[in-house]
Amino acid sequence: MDPRQQRVDAIRARSTELENHIIDEYRGGKIGRREFVRRGAVVGMSVPLLTFLATACGVSTEDLEAEDKPQTAKPKQGGTLRVGQQQPPGALDPVLVNSQAGLTILGQTGEFLIWSDRELVPQPRLAESWKPNEDGSVWTFKLRKGVKFHDGKVMDAEDVASTFDRLADPDNTSNALSAFTGVLSKGGAKAVDASTVEFHLDAPNGNFPFLTSSDNYNTIILPKDYDGDWEKTFIGTGPWKLDRFEQGVGITLVPNRDYWAPGRRAVAERQEIVFYTNEQSLVLGFQGNEVDVVVQFSVSGGKALLTDETVITTELQSAAHRQVHLRTDKEPFRDKRVRQAMALLVDRRALVDGLLDTKADFGNDSPFAPIYRSTAEVEQRQQDVAKAKELLASAGKEQGFSVPLSGWQGFEMPDLAQLIQQDVREAGIRVALNITNQATYFGEATYGNSPWLDSTMGITEYGHRGVPNVVLGAPLKSDGTWNGAHFKNKRYDALVEDYVAAVDLDEQRRYAKQIQELLLDEVPIMFTYFYYFLSGAKDYVAGVETNAMGHTDVSRAGFT
Amino acid sequence: MSTSASGPDVAQAPATPATAPPADAERAAQRERLRLLVRSKTFIAGVIIVGIFVIFAIFGEALAPDDPFATDPLDDLAAPSGEHLFGTDRVGRDVLSRVIVGARDILIVSLTATLLGTVLGTALGLVTGYFRGPIDDILSRFIDAFLALPTVIIGILAIVALGTSKITVIIVIGLVFAPIIARTVRAAVLQEREMEYVAAAQLRNERTSYILFAEILPNVMGPVMVEFTVRLGYAIFTVATLSFLGFGIQPPTPDWGLQVFEHYGLISGGYWWPVLFPALAIAILVIGVNLIADGIAKAFER
Amino acid sequence: MGRFILKRVLLSIVTLFILSIIVFVCAQVLPGDVGRSILGPFADQKSVDALNEELGANDPLPVQYWDWISGVLTGDMGESRAFRQPVEDVIGPALVNSAKLALIAFIIVVPLAIAGGVWAALKEGSFRDRFVSIGGLSATAVPDFVWAVLLIIIFALTLGIFPSTATAPPGSGFFEQLWYLILPALCLVFVLFGYIARMARAGTIESLDADYTRTAVIKGLPQKTVVRRHVLRNSLLPTIAVVATQLGYLIGGLVVIELIFNYNGLGQALVEAAQQNDIPMLQSGILIVGVVYLVATLCADISYSVLNPRVRLGAEQ
Repeated sequence: MDPRQQRVDAIRARSTELENHIIDEYRGGKIGRREFVRRGAVVGMSVPLLTFLATACGVSTEDLEAEDKPQTAKPKQGGTLRVGQQQPPGALDPVLVNSQAGLTILGQTGEFLIWSDRELVPQPRLAESWKPNEDGSVWTFKLRKGVKFHDGKVMDAEDVASTFDRLADPDNTSNALSAFTGVLSKGGAKAVDASTVEFHLDAPNGNFPFLTSSDNYNTIILPKDYDGDWEKTFIGTGPWKLDRFEQGVGITLVPNRDYWAPGRRAVAERQEIVFYTNEQSLVLGFQGNEVDVVVQFSVSGGKALLTDETVITTELQSAAHRQVHLRTDKEPFRDKRVRQAMALLVDRRALVDGLLDTKADFGNDSPFAPIYRSTAEVEQRQQDVAKAKELLASAGKEQGFSVPLSGWQGFEMPDLAQLIQQDVREAGIRVALNITNQATYFGEATYGNSPWLDSTMGITEYGHRGVPNVVLGAPLKSDGTWNGAHFKNKRYDALVEDYVAAVDLDEQRRYAKQIQELLLDEVPIMFTYFYYFLSGAKDYVAGVETNAMGHTDVSRAGFT
Repeated sequence: MSTSASGPDVAQAPATPATAPPADAERAAQRERLRLLVRSKTFIAGVIIVGIFVIFAIFGEALAPDDPFATDPLDDLAAPSGEHLFGTDRVGRDVLSRVIVGARDILIVSLTATLLGTVLGTALGLVTGYFRGPIDDILSRFIDAFLALPTVIIGILAIVALGTSKITVIIVIGLVFAPIIARTVRAAVLQEREMEYVAAAQLRNERTSYILFAEILPNVMGPVMVEFTVRLGYAIFTVATLSFLGFGIQPPTPDWGLQVFEHYGLISGGYWWPVLFPALAIAILVIGVNLIADGIAKAFER
Repeated sequence: MGRFILKRVLLSIVTLFILSIIVFVCAQVLPGDVGRSILGPFADQKSVDALNEELGANDPLPVQYWDWISGVLTGDMGESRAFRQPVEDVIGPALVNSAKLALIAFIIVVPLAIAGGVWAALKEGSFRDRFVSIGGLSATAVPDFVWAVLLIIIFALTLGIFPSTATAPPGSGFFEQLWYLILPALCLVFVLFGYIARMARAGTIESLDADYTRTAVIKGLPQKTVVRRHVLRNSLLPTIAVVATQLGYLIGGLVVIELIFNYNGLGQALVEAAQQNDIPMLQSGILIVGVVYLVATLCADISYSVLNPRVRLGAEQ
């Protein structure tokens, strides 16, 4: 018998039912090679194993390696790398951070169990491997040994368990609760031995590893005796250490010479993160050579960079989007026909091609972005003014109506607001804008005290995530804490729970299709586009790795 | 001011030289001032400039080549051309149209705000200047305290507290300007109250409000008008700055400061037109107003 | 003389007191729950209420005022919610930064503007007079953010001479920091030149007309000496007054310049505080700006009277 086939058989014999199922899907041609590797990695199969199986059982000839080498020049050792980003709002507290500006910083000195790369393949970091039990309700993680925190103490399972306990504890009001509520409770993370952690989930969850990854950016592993005040030490296990933190100005980081992965030890001698108050000054500063790397910029604000030849722009397809919620429990949007009409009036092509210079995917009014593999095939909604007018007439609103639209002054959101305002004018709908700042729009972030959650119509920014779970939940479920649309639909809730529990891709797709069709019909929120994540570096810098969340890994970056 | 040249047919009253000239003399003096104004080149230039903007404000939409609100994202940031003389902005709107129509809001807001401030300030100045004593001392301290506050920051505070709306901006600017104007008016009133005509009115037992508003006020109108026009320039400036900081008038209003704010980050990419034209509009309007102020000041100096 | 100064100082203190009350009242107007903004959106109401009680948010206003004011006088200005640090730790460096920029701007603009004003006044009505007057006027009329953007485009982006930011990298020496501040200082120069030059010009014209000047000229003194001895001194007077009043703008009102040049000054800090309803920061910050202004005008008043005896001996103003 062919030795390779022997090896495959041996592997399959010791694999779980779930793992075999994934191999079968691949062999049956249902998923491509890249997706096979991704799915396998989620449930804990190692990448070398998957690569072998992919070739051995392979039917497609997709080349997995090609896309992972974007930089060609090799960076020189040394130098000070200057990274520009927006000023993080609020304190830098791993428990509370909820902004892209904050999460980028967390990921410099802090580290995650798993790194979610730009292909959405989970890569082992502090966790070496992970496996689910039969139904996906208990996940066991094996930790890397010999990893040290910046203060010299060795990282063990207790540190991991206490980190997750801290985040899942409702009293700590962590931003991570948006991901953990209903999934992992306090006490669910247990240290089995010094290097093994078991997560006992509230319910089976096929995508759990993503919730312990860089996608869930609050989950940097902290020492068990951590007692707050992260800004003093920036404690973590990552390749960078804190040198100096100047409030309102920036952060200076130096390499962690004891970092556990020799291949990812810092190339540059020093990293300076510089804060900018808004995108305009960030762009100007970058062009004025004040910084070498820009973490994120939008198409409208960064047009100057897109045409600048000294700038290398990275465009990453992402699931980041802007939600335009329509309150389902209030006039004028109580009748779903009115909401459908709004969605039909918006000219999505103009948004994608004009506002975003084609650097976006079309949104089809649900959290299922084209980048997700579990997104089902559903007809894309297009602008249809005639149909919209018909729907409005049947709902008794052929005269149009006025409605206020709230939002805040950031990126291209005011532009989006004004474009929507113009688009709906045709049907006699008069939108009055109320664009303020971030603090005012979010208010106290609780129902009754926040324009975000109380407004009849509002625009909210959502960053990229590796799986749609959080976006399916918090803004849309009946008990969701981010539900600006006040959408309460029992069938929807049930479908989402089914989706979350499903481990098998086909099953996920089945539920996704139903969810997508439900949301197209109800339209509590308009998802008009999923924009590409844009980041930039000067042409004399190489080795910068970003992912669509905003994590910027410059440990292998330097000057050429 | 009250010792201006008298006309040819003034009857010389046998009173002391500090008497206010009789009504005819006053009117003659006014005519003289008007004549000076009309001849002053700076004044004329200022009037023409401001006049053009006023025409824009009134007839904006009729004069604008395009709908200032019509977006066209597929044609965004187009350079100035035959079709769009000033180019298009970041969502494809015609910049020229937006500059023209934008005159209305800024003029209305700054005019109203300055009027409010002038009315309040003049009243305050009259009271403090006339009464002196404890009222003056206390109120003057209040005025001084207000003067110490940075205008823009107070404006931002008010807007954050009360929400962005034209009314808020008008009230805030008006309230902040009042003390400044009050100061000048007070100084003028201090001079006036020593005049004989005031003493005469007091002897006649006229009501205080009559003395203040019917006797003194007309004689301090000079400095009041100068202050008004000077403050108007500052008001335009402040409104534009507040918009620039994102605290002013709401989009999609074609407010000039807002336009600069939305586009200044794009300049380095070569997209200069959405910033330059509104900025020039602000500058030219303020210069025009200052020229008028200069003219009036000179006319009253004589 | 001593009595005059004492009187002025006392009046200033009264004004300062009134200012603090005004500032306190203004800051209270802002919406927002103290406890909530510290604990964040996901905290439960009980903890928020407890924190509010602890911070004294429910105390009567006069008590809160006294707490604040006594704190300011002892150097404890509370905790900034936007920056998560003691307020004085934020205001301190920000104030120093604003002062640095103001100083550089002044050093450039004051001699330049006085010289320009005097120069223009010496030939009143001439072309150079018009040029200085109208040029100064136009420069002032252009909003500061326009100057900032123009200067950045020309000198930083196109010619690459100056940096486009005002914040020097940490650890820079004196001269390097100076270099970074030149472009923003230039903006201020453009904005302030017209105003100061106009004052200097008016003062010069007035004193050129004055009797003592005529006497000096009749006596045969060369114009230069006359200018230096009498005219300059008297044109300085209104200029001092103007400089003092502009100080308030320069310390707390430079929001726009600080924004565009990414400079960590007091104006910037205050706007950030306003956007995040950071009442402790706003209260103390605005008070500091007011204090600077009042101290500056006090000094201006005093030096004005020193230079012009008629003011302190003459009729009460």
